Amino acid sequence: MIIHVEVMTMISYFLAVVSAIIVGLILRLPLLPERPIRYSFTISIIFPTTVIALGLSAMVFELGWEGMAVGIIVGVISALISKYLLEKILPRPAEQVEGETQ
Amino acid sequence: MNEILGIIIAAVLCWINFVLIDTWMGLPEQPGVKGAEVIGRGIQKRGGDLAGGFFQGNIVCSPDASAGTLLGAVGCYLIGFPAGGFVAALLVFIGNRLCADPGYAGTTGALSIMVIIGLASFIGMLPEQFIVGMLIAIVTIQGIDHPRASRLLGKIAEKMGRHTELT
Repeated sequence: MIIHVEVMTMISYFLAVVSAIIVGLILRLPLLPERPIRYSFTISIIFPTTVIALGLSAMVFELGWEGMAVGIIVGVISALISKYLLEKILPRPAEQVEGETQ
Repeated sequence: MNEILGIIIAAVLCWINFVLIDTWMGLPEQPGVKGAEVIGRGIQKRGGDLAGGFFQGNIVCSPDASAGTLLGAVGCYLIGFPAGGFVAALLVFIGNRLCADPGYAGTTGALSIMVIIGLASFIGMLPEQFIVGMLIAIVTIQGIDHPRASRLLGKIAEKMGRHTELT
């Protein structure tokens, strides 16, 4: 069984990511977390804004709202969530216990 | 494709996917939380490798590429490709942040298994085979022999330059 993907849906995901990146740049989010990236909690455009854009788009599309315009709107919302909401909902670990590094 | 053969291939693909991503993201280097350190030291006391123990402790204490791989497969089975993988990646990211983990390994694991499932569909493999395959893969790491599994994980970490500097 070959899994088929609709071209319009893929374009909508692409537009969600592109709009999230553009709005992220306008909101002055960093493009990448600081190095070493694998231990960084910094919220940047590549991670997690694009992941939020893809995940939210998938949820919205599967709920029945589809199309390129919806993708663009979800991308904008994702960038706004990353900039203003994410740190409040999911704050980085505040205290570092001895022996722990994150 | 034969179901049993599909599950075996899926188990191998899932094992490679989550072990390589977790090692690359530095799970064997250090414990992310106190619980992972306790597990790592406990495995070392039983004759295991400390880096491998940290790896095993970290995947118990937060959803890393192992959970990402499993949830990515579950998402593709329930919602479809690629939406299931994207939803899984977002949910794993939220779970990671709740567990004091930056979330790179988990989201990468979910997205990579989604791509693998999409490609494997060309040879007739189904997402449900990846769910069973991932369960088998995680049993080989966490469910059979911790010290031996940790030594293997430690060797992989050493080869990839991610072995712990802690003693």
